[in-house]
Amino acid sequence: MLAYTLRRIAQAVPILLLVSLISFGIMQLVPGDPAAVLAGPNATPDELIKLRQTLGLDKSLLSQIMIFYGNLFQGDLGYSIILGEPVLKVVLERSPISISLALYSLALTVILGLSIGVIAAMKHNRWIDQAAMTFALIGVSVPNFWLGLVMIVLFSVHLGWLPTGGYVPFFEDPVGWFLAATMPALSLAMMQIGLLARLTRSTMLEVLGQDYIRTARAKGASEPRVIIKHAMSNVLIPVVTVLGMILSVLLSGSVIVETIFAVPGIGALLGNAILGRDYPMIQGGLIFVAAVLLILNIVVDVLYAWLDPRVRVQ
Amino acid sequence: MTHRNSKNRLRGLLVAGAMAVAAGPAHAELCGQVGGDLVLGMEAKLGTLDQHVNAANATRNVAMNIFETLMTRDENMAPILDLAESLDVSEDKLSYTFKLRPGVKFHNGKPLTSADVAASFDRYNRIGVDRSALGSVDRWETPDDATFVIFLKEPQASFLESISASTVPIVIVPSEQASAEATRLEPIGTGPFQLEEFVADSHVKLKRYEDYKPNETLDAMSGFAGRKQACVDTVTFRTLAEPGARLAALETGEVHIVEDVPTLSKERLVGNEDIVQTQLKHAALWLNYPNLSEPPTDNLKVRQAIQAAMNLDEIMDAMSDGSYSLNPSFQFPGQTYYTEAGSQYYNQNDPEKAKALLKEAGYNGEAVKLLTTRDIPRLYTAAVVMSEQLKAVGINAELVVLDWPTALGMSVNETEGWNFFFTGWITVTAQGGAQSLRNLADPSNVHKPKDNKSDAEFMKQFQILSTSPDLEERKAAFAKAQERVFEQVMAIPFGVTPKNQATRANVKGYVPFFNTRVSNVWLAE
Repeated sequence: MLAYTLRRIAQAVPILLLVSLISFGIMQLVPGDPAAVLAGPNATPDELIKLRQTLGLDKSLLSQIMIFYGNLFQGDLGYSIILGEPVLKVVLERSPISISLALYSLALTVILGLSIGVIAAMKHNRWIDQAAMTFALIGVSVPNFWLGLVMIVLFSVHLGWLPTGGYVPFFEDPVGWFLAATMPALSLAMMQIGLLARLTRSTMLEVLGQDYIRTARAKGASEPRVIIKHAMSNVLIPVVTVLGMILSVLLSGSVIVETIFAVPGIGALLGNAILGRDYPMIQGGLIFVAAVLLILNIVVDVLYAWLDPRVRVQ
Repeated sequence: MTHRNSKNRLRGLLVAGAMAVAAGPAHAELCGQVGGDLVLGMEAKLGTLDQHVNAANATRNVAMNIFETLMTRDENMAPILDLAESLDVSEDKLSYTFKLRPGVKFHNGKPLTSADVAASFDRYNRIGVDRSALGSVDRWETPDDATFVIFLKEPQASFLESISASTVPIVIVPSEQASAEATRLEPIGTGPFQLEEFVADSHVKLKRYEDYKPNETLDAMSGFAGRKQACVDTVTFRTLAEPGARLAALETGEVHIVEDVPTLSKERLVGNEDIVQTQLKHAALWLNYPNLSEPPTDNLKVRQAIQAAMNLDEIMDAMSDGSYSLNPSFQFPGQTYYTEAGSQYYNQNDPEKAKALLKEAGYNGEAVKLLTTRDIPRLYTAAVVMSEQLKAVGINAELVVLDWPTALGMSVNETEGWNFFFTGWITVTAQGGAQSLRNLADPSNVHKPKDNKSDAEFMKQFQILSTSPDLEERKAAFAKAQERVFEQVMAIPFGVTPKNQATRANVKGYVPFFNTRVSNVWLAE
């Protein structure tokens, strides 16, 4: 198991370097630069040239690459051009926000997605099954920005239960965090809940048709014991694989939700960095996101191997 | 040596400013109540508070409540003293002597001296975005702690307009900040509010600066200057980029003031007694400008055909949901330089004339590429409507839709691949005649004339506009220059949109302006 884990970690290093190189190359190819964004459309050519010099954008591509990797290997992701702060500091400040939002969304996804899927499978072809699958279909179909706005109108403007947006750090005010994060987390999770419910239902139906389930029932095991002890352990194998992917999506795909709810997370940070052509921030942010996703994938692979010994053998 | 006429003129400047104060409360009652936490919902995201290197409205909206300038603009956008209490101009118009207001302190407790002013000008001259404002300056000196003297290389009639421009203001910072690199300036100013917390993309929180020394030459605030007071304890500028979420926050009372209320939402808010709507009638001029180096818009006849084909009512109506005014000028109505010279070329909506001009030009179906962006929906809508109008007269119009930085970069750096670039001039127009036409004069990133030389007749008038000491002569030159722009189709102004804002009913003293001003604003119980 340890060798397997170490092998997966070793494979991640070149991937991370490749991500950094690709992100660096793409940003150099895209037209527009931070000096033009900062100076606006009315700056004179001389003003733009001097601002580029000030920001270090006049250096050759090779020297920019050398500086970037020289700093990277010392753990320095550089300075954000727009924010004027170290990239690593900003990323570390923002990442807990996105991670906490993603974990809240994941919790909602797991609890609701698994429950809906299991109940739908247990009540196969009955009205509960139909209702659950309709809900799941709505979940995967409704755009999260629209859902977010509808929730704001309903829960903030009309009912006054939840704030319209913003972020409250969990350790400063857990209740405030819960209230502020609920709508963003739910709109982020809705699609994943639908996907997981459908996957869980189909997997559960397949498992419930297996001989060992019939044998368990024939031996007189109670229905909850059949579901929890015998069926769920096999349902979880594909679900765990999907959960890793879902968490990746929740972490990296929150730009729109963060914008609607004014949550200053990594998604909003990267979105603004791209619009401002803040090269160091884009590169640093992408490397960070790639690193988190790689770690997640390793954790999922290890978990998968733990759940299914055949994977370790392969 | 000073000149009496100059002194009188500058006293006049101050008096004019005094008469043009914001329609707020008078001196004795700047704040009806003191205390409370004011929250604003901002449209745009804010990355930096370094006012020297950023032309964005979002930065200015916050930063100009923290920082102050030697000279700035009053309610009518005319130059006015702020941190300086007097200004003497020498007879030869080569030296400008500013006396600083006594008793002003920075937020770190340090008294303001001329050394801080000189350091701020040094930094601006080194990295400031709009440093061409100091292009005619030879040097500056600080004979004593309260005096700052600027020496020009040659007389420049528009010098005070240049250094008081509010597009990228020359804010005064402590001298220790002179070496701060771009975007790394510590936001320490002399304004009525000081920074408490800044989380980019989320919010900026300011608190009252207790040792603030107000400008007592006026009874109330005027533009960026005048008598200011922090009535509330704190002000939080929250970024709420999504209009629906921004309005919802206003309706729930989470925020007290929101900017940019969508036209279609205004009607819904009318019946809400808790909300008051406000408007700055002329806030932004929308336009496009052709690429004169790229066929077929290198051909004057083709440009004139395009100008003749355009129905600007349709364009403005679509891009603003009906909230606009047509404006055949590069100035807003009421501004000193406002003129309708050349308006015969504006909003012609004459397809037959367009077709005849195209025939005369020998137009042969070459693509006319309209460079625009979806990041600013109004610009995209304008381009879509214009492309349909051009197609209707037989022009092969194509949309080139890119994200804003790419489109902006392409318009600045490339002379190929586009024929018209769509943009909006928000603060530039408000700065006055010379500043608004500077974009079309040499050297410019905006204008793309053949051989990089702007039209000779236009440049002649622009030169007079920039240098003549006589206002009437400058106004005449502006009119001629504007007419030339229309004749040569160097730019096509579409029209003007207002700035629609809304406040909670308990917000008092708030007056819409080109910038968001939170001084003299209080919360009634």
